[in-house]
Amino acid sequence: MTGEKIIQTIAAFIHQILGAAGLSGIIFIIDPVLCAVAMFGFISLFVMFLVWMERKVSAHMQSRIGPNRVGIFGLLQTVADAVKLTIKEDVKPIHRDVIPYTIAPILAFVATFAGMVVIPFDKGIVVQDLNIGLLYIIAITSFTVIAILSAGWSSNNKFALLGGFRSAAQIVSYEVPLVLSLVPIIMTTGTLRLGGIVDYQAGHRWFIFSQQAIAFFIFITAATAEANRAPFDIPEAESELIGGFHTEYSGVKFAMFFLGEYIAVIVSSAVAVTVFLGGWLPLPFLGFLHLPGFVWFMAKLVFVIYLIMAFRWTFPRLRVDQLMDFGWKVLIPIAILNVLATGFVILLLEGGV
Amino acid sequence: MGAIFQYFKNILVGFWNLILGLSVTTKYFLSMKTNTQQYPEEKLPLPARSRSMIKLIYDGDKDQFNCVACMMCAKACPNSCIKLEGVRDAGGKRRMTTFKLDFSTCIFCGYCVEACGFDALTFVSEEYENSVYKRGSLLQDEQAMKWVRPAHLAPKPEEPAKVETSAPAAAGA
Amino acid sequence: MTDLLLSQIKGGNESQFGTDEYVVNLGPQHPATHGVLRLVVKMDGETVKETIPVLGYLHRSIEKICENRTYPQCITYTDRVDYVSAMSVNLAFALATERLMGLEPPPRAQWLRMVFVELQRIASHLLWMGAFAGDIGALTPFLYGLRERERILDLFEMTCGQRLTYNYIRIGGVMIDILPEFVPKCRAFLDYFEPKIAEYEELLTYNPIFLERTRGVGLISPEMGINNGVCGPSLRGSGVACDVRKQQPYLYYDQVKFTECLEPGGDCWSRYRVRMREIRESVSLVRQCLDRLEPGPIETKLPPILKAPPASEIYSRIESSRGEMGIYLVGDGTAKPYKAKFRCASFSNTYVLDQLTRGWKLADIMAVLGSLDMIVPEVDR
Repeated sequence: MTGEKIIQTIAAFIHQILGAAGLSGIIFIIDPVLCAVAMFGFISLFVMFLVWMERKVSAHMQSRIGPNRVGIFGLLQTVADAVKLTIKEDVKPIHRDVIPYTIAPILAFVATFAGMVVIPFDKGIVVQDLNIGLLYIIAITSFTVIAILSAGWSSNNKFALLGGFRSAAQIVSYEVPLVLSLVPIIMTTGTLRLGGIVDYQAGHRWFIFSQQAIAFFIFITAATAEANRAPFDIPEAESELIGGFHTEYSGVKFAMFFLGEYIAVIVSSAVAVTVFLGGWLPLPFLGFLHLPGFVWFMAKLVFVIYLIMAFRWTFPRLRVDQLMDFGWKVLIPIAILNVLATGFVILLLEGGV
Repeated sequence: MGAIFQYFKNILVGFWNLILGLSVTTKYFLSMKTNTQQYPEEKLPLPARSRSMIKLIYDGDKDQFNCVACMMCAKACPNSCIKLEGVRDAGGKRRMTTFKLDFSTCIFCGYCVEACGFDALTFVSEEYENSVYKRGSLLQDEQAMKWVRPAHLAPKPEEPAKVETSAPAAAGA
Repeated sequence: MTDLLLSQIKGGNESQFGTDEYVVNLGPQHPATHGVLRLVVKMDGETVKETIPVLGYLHRSIEKICENRTYPQCITYTDRVDYVSAMSVNLAFALATERLMGLEPPPRAQWLRMVFVELQRIASHLLWMGAFAGDIGALTPFLYGLRERERILDLFEMTCGQRLTYNYIRIGGVMIDILPEFVPKCRAFLDYFEPKIAEYEELLTYNPIFLERTRGVGLISPEMGINNGVCGPSLRGSGVACDVRKQQPYLYYDQVKFTECLEPGGDCWSRYRVRMREIRESVSLVRQCLDRLEPGPIETKLPPILKAPPASEIYSRIESSRGEMGIYLVGDGTAKPYKAKFRCASFSNTYVLDQLTRGWKLADIMAVLGSLDMIVPEVDR
């Protein structure tokens, strides 16, 4: 029972119901809307699971038990946190700039969330398999810079502004190695469509094994920096002192920023899984298990997210100037060298692009 | 040329050390062993010498407190937490009438227990959950501090109940 | 008070042009684990121009209180002077009083004191490692350090009954003899713990991010260290041999083998390395002392009321976990000291903080502060 068949069965069922109700005219609207709603529901549940997972992972790394009181194994802890954040008082500074102040958290959340639209969970399970998939993701997730700058500016707080500037500088400088590490993939597969990249890996070995292990690590590092997570979380860490861009936010708005951060992690990990780890393809020697591709995708996704969490709890923080040094002087040259090397290899092996 | 070689070597060495660091935390994560004692459900017993709560020993056989109001504990206490009074009864023996210990200023240093030569004060290691709602209830009198020694904890003759120091008054005047 | 401070800062020798600098308060309420220390940091953009520590938030007038307590009662207050390594301060005061009054504890008491003080040094350095790594941003070594420290505190609790404020090392000896199961448990702990040190070093020492944050930061040259009163592992990180256990051996430190850990670098990383090596040295020291324990009395015969000789004074120093801890006692013939002064390592190490951080970034203040191992109760008493 592959993913494609499941989706086709459900779609046929819904079309039948709509046809019986005489509404078959609007099927072409209902389909994407239902897909988007299903995606939204699934991702929300997954984010709640991720918050719990982060706390449990960090706890077991530190030889302690994480949340275990609220629900079995503490699974309802995120629900409790969400309830707490929603009933908090929404403290707003008086002299804020109202429109950017209100839009910033929404934009941070929506921008990253919109990136989930092109991620293929299985052969047919994708909201819209755009043929500019990769480009779309990178473009959409860049909106977070605007969100952070608006948050910093509109808070009317000198320190929040500084934190916002630093965060924006960090994100913008790590966009470059992020894209550069994906360029060799695009060169090799010749397509930007994520489904096409996974199809290519079905025929050849996965990219992380065949040629692009370096690109994988560059991508993961740049993705951690994009999400403002440790070891690149200077804006958050020195928020004890100077204040990150989200100092003046409380309650649900604050929650939106953090949800945005987690969803950025999910989107980056999903792209890493799709592009480097073979998406929904089973592990080469475990193909006999006949698990649906969806299960493989989620397993790999959890693994990559575990890596990103392990980075946070193992490594110290980089200072701001060291962070920028690292991005510009280490990651970008290596990524460029990777592109050149891949180009040479393609020329040699295939005698031309 | 040497600089370029050094640059790549630094990156590789740094990368390897990062992996080593990750291996340490991953090892702890995978072992799933925790050092947490989940407190109200799991109460580990405290060692016998724990300085938990000070109690006045009440001798069940003779139906009286062991305390003779010699005032050594009050003199030994660094914070003057102990206030007590005694009377000389008909047979010429001193007996304690009131004993008040202010636990809000007590630092549990143990000098009173050490100074007592009559086996009247002791630490009871099982009683360590002593939070109260009102600060006034920390000023405990002899009825609140009454404790009868269970038979299995009676001091053996070769091992006196109090600390073996050669100075009976380790705290002076 | 704040206005006075601010006017002190602003009224200095400023240039004619209005500079865009501001004053940041690393307030007494810290998310980091340094206790109530307040730093007023004058900054120019990202760069620190001046750091002014404001002390006194944890002042409890211990020295004044000690003037109204008898010598044994003062020992209970010494626990609170440095509660992270309380055995050391207990020992310092007990040694000072014994030297003042001419008392000599029996050998078993001396060996036991050494065992406990070195175990305490391990515990204190473990806590320091956790706090330092936490300041730099690695939050996990804190939990690892505390996990091992809990085992040491279990050993202490088994012996004297308390986990933090022991009141164990007394004038003339120790409070009570160790239980028979102490020695095997202690050896088992040391065998379990020694490979763990290698693990923590694997996690931190050559981590490139850690190296970037601590190499070259907070450079104390030997002359600067000596001139500014730095002592202890912070000065040994600059290559200066300053261990009191070697210079003026007390207890039986001249009869055991240990090396003084010196590192030539002078930066935060060297100080970190010194302390990690000191943990290993302390493990070996505890093993040697456990081997040399022999049965015997644990306290010498004391007069009923301990009185100091009239018009006497003594300055006696030991090597506590942070550096040189000195006690200056003035006796006047009564049972209470006329004056008791605690010379604490953290207080004199604080002075050099300003010079170390000028021209560096704000994040470096946290690294330098952590590497100096400052404990605020010791600073303020």
